[in-house]
Amino acid sequence: MSRKLAGSSLAAVAAALFATVSPVSGQDIKIGYSGALSGPASFTGLDIKRGAELAVEEINAKGGVKGRKLVLVSRDDEHNPVRTVAQYRELVERERVVAMIGATNSASMLAVTPIVNDTLKVPVICPATDATAITENDAAKAGKENYLFRIGMYGTGQANFIVDTMVKKFGHTKVALLNWTGGWGVTGRTELQRRLKENGLTPVADETFDSSDTDMTPQIIKIKNAGAQSIVNYALVRENTLVVQTKQKLGDDTPYASAWGIAGPAFWKAAGASAEGVLTSTTITIDGPQSPERLRLIDTYRKRYGQEMDAPSSFFGGYDAVFLYALVMERDGVDPKAIRAGLENVPAFKGMIKDFKRPVFTKDRHNAITEEDMIMTRWTNGKMLEIKYDDKGPYVDIDEKTKKYLDKKNLALM
Amino acid sequence: MYFFFQIALSGIATGAIYGLIAVGYSLTFMTTKALNFALGMWVMLGGMLTFSLSVQYGVPALVALPMIVAGLFLLGLVAERFSVAPFLRAGSDVWVMSTLAVGLLMIDFAEIIWGRSPTPVPSFLGNTPVRLGPLSILPQQLFIIAIACVVFFALDLFYRRTLTGKAFRAVAHSGEVSALMGINTRRVQAASYAAAAAFAGLAGFMVVPLTLAEPQMGTVLGLKAFAIAIIAGLAAPRGILFCGLIYGGLEALISGYLYTGIRDILGFSLMILALAIKPEGLFGRPVEERA
Repeated sequence: MSRKLAGSSLAAVAAALFATVSPVSGQDIKIGYSGALSGPASFTGLDIKRGAELAVEEINAKGGVKGRKLVLVSRDDEHNPVRTVAQYRELVERERVVAMIGATNSASMLAVTPIVNDTLKVPVICPATDATAITENDAAKAGKENYLFRIGMYGTGQANFIVDTMVKKFGHTKVALLNWTGGWGVTGRTELQRRLKENGLTPVADETFDSSDTDMTPQIIKIKNAGAQSIVNYALVRENTLVVQTKQKLGDDTPYASAWGIAGPAFWKAAGASAEGVLTSTTITIDGPQSPERLRLIDTYRKRYGQEMDAPSSFFGGYDAVFLYALVMERDGVDPKAIRAGLENVPAFKGMIKDFKRPVFTKDRHNAITEEDMIMTRWTNGKMLEIKYDDKGPYVDIDEKTKKYLDKKNLALM
Repeated sequence: MYFFFQIALSGIATGAIYGLIAVGYSLTFMTTKALNFALGMWVMLGGMLTFSLSVQYGVPALVALPMIVAGLFLLGLVAERFSVAPFLRAGSDVWVMSTLAVGLLMIDFAEIIWGRSPTPVPSFLGNTPVRLGPLSILPQQLFIIAIACVVFFALDLFYRRTLTGKAFRAVAHSGEVSALMGINTRRVQAASYAAAAAFAGLAGFMVVPLTLAEPQMGTVLGLKAFAIAIIAGLAAPRGILFCGLIYGGLEALISGYLYTGIRDILGFSLMILALAIKPEGLFGRPVEERA
C-alpha cells in the first residue's frame, strides 16, 4: 500500500471515529474550526477556539439559530498546512459543517484557499492569519465567488498602517527597518519598503537578523548612526525581546514599532521593562479602559480557563466570527452559498473587536478590519494601551481618569 | 572608534560562547577521533535545565550551575555508553549518526517537557549595563568572557600538568600504545565525552539569559562552534578560545560594516577555506608518524 493511500485510509478511519463521538443531531448547525491546538502556535489557536466556543454557548442559551442548536467541531492541525487541508475536507465532506473559522497559520490558509473556493465552497472567516493573498485570492481577482473573509490584520494593510503612523502621525521621515530573516519577517520587510516608497521615502537603514542571534548590537548602532527617528519591523516575541534588550543596553531610545507578533502578554513576560514604550499594531487590546461587554467576556474567560487571555485579537476574532455567522444564518438560512453571499451584505454589526457602523464586508472587500480600524498600542508598564489622538497630539488612557500625552519625538509619556 | 569597539566587544562575548562549546568537539576528537555532533542540543539541555532550576524552582544561579554541569557530565557518561562506545569498539563510524540521533531525541523530549515557546531566564547578575568608558556591556556578557578565559586556562593546566591530563594526551596520540602503557583508554574516552557534555551545559547556562530558553536554541550555536573548532584545529584546544573570540568579533563587525545577511556565508566560507589551506586547523600541528 502506498504511503499516500495508507494516510488517507487512516484519515478516513479517524474521521469515522470522530463522526461517532461528535455530539450531533440532524437538526444541529455545525461550524468547523481547524487550527493549532498544540505546539508553539497553540496560544493563538486555543484562543480562537475559546472565542468561538463561548459565542456558540451564548447563542444556544438564547435559543440557537432558527431554533436549531449551533455546534462547533474543532480539529488540531498542529500548525501544519497538510493537516489543515485534510481536516477542511473532512469537516466539510463528512461533518457537513456549513461554515469555517480560519486556521492559525497563513501557509495553511493559503493552501486551503483554492480548495475552498473551487470545491468545498463553504465560507471561512479568518481571525488570525494575515497573508494578504488569503482574501485577495485568485477567485477574487477573476471575479468569481470568494469564500474567504477575514476579521484580523492583513499584510498590506498592516504595513501601510505602521509606516503611516510613524510618518504621518508622528512626523518621522528617517525610518529604519530591522526585520527577522524568517518567513514572516521577509514578507513584512518587502511590504514596509513598499509603503515607505509610496510615502516618497527610502529607509535610512535596512537591517535584518537571524533567529539564532544572541545580540543585536551591530544593527542597533548602525541604525542609530544612520540618524533614524524610528525603527519598524516584523518579528516574533523572541527576536523582539533581543532587540529591546540590546537597545536598553546601549541606552538607545529610538522609537520602535512592530507588527502584531508581539501583541499579547507573552512579549512583556519575555522582555520585561525593556519593552516599555514599544509600539505594536493590532486589532484590539484588552488593557486600558474597556466596554462593559468586553469586561464581561474577559472575566468569563478568566473564570472558565483559569488564565489570562494570551491572544485577544484571536479570541475576539473567533467570537465575532460566530456571531456574524449566526446573524447571517438567521436572516438568509444555513446553506453555505447563502451564508457567503449574506456576509457581503451585513450593513452594520456590533462586534467585540469593533462596532461596525458600515457594511462589515463588501463584494470587493473581504477584510473586515481596514487600515482605518487598526489600532497602534504602546507597551506601558506591562499593558498594551491604545494610542489615541486629539488636537494636542497622541495620548494613551492609563485608566479612566488619567490621560497621558506622548512626546512625538521619542514616544515617551509626558 | 566607538562603533568599532562597541560592536567588537559584544561580538567577543558571543565568541566566548562559541569557544566554550567548541572545546567540547576538541575534547572527544582528541581521545577518540569521534565527535559529538549534537553538542548544540546539549547546550540547549543546559539552558532548559537552567530555566527549570532558576525560574521554576527558584534555585540560586550559583547553586544551579554545579548541579547542571554535574548532571550533564553524568548524562554524558550514559549517552557515551550506549550511543558511542559500542560503535567505537566495533571500529564503526556509526557514531556520527548515533550522536545526532541522541541530539534529536533531546529536542523532542525538551519540546514535550518544556513546550516550544521561548521563555526568558533573567541573568542573576541583573540587566544594568556595565560602562567601560563610552562602551557598555551586559554583566552576563562580561561574565561569559571571564568564565571562558578561566575554563581555557584551567584546561591548559589540566592537559600539561596533571597525570589525568597527560593520560588524555597520550590517548589522543595513540590509544593502542597508551593501553599498552597501562592507561585505561576506555575510561579516558568516556570521561572526555562526558566532559564535553558538561562544557556544553556550562555554555547553555551562560547563554540562556541572552537568548531565551527554547528547544531549538542550541542548534545553530552548535554548528558555529563546530566551524570554529575546525578553523582552529580539532586537536588544538588552546587555539579554540582565541578563534572563538575572533570569530564572534568578526561576525559582529561584518554585521556592523557590511550586512547581516552575508555574515554566516562569510563565516562558513572561512571554515571551508581554512580546511583547504590547513586541514589540521590554524593552530593544529600536522600529524607526523615516526616510522
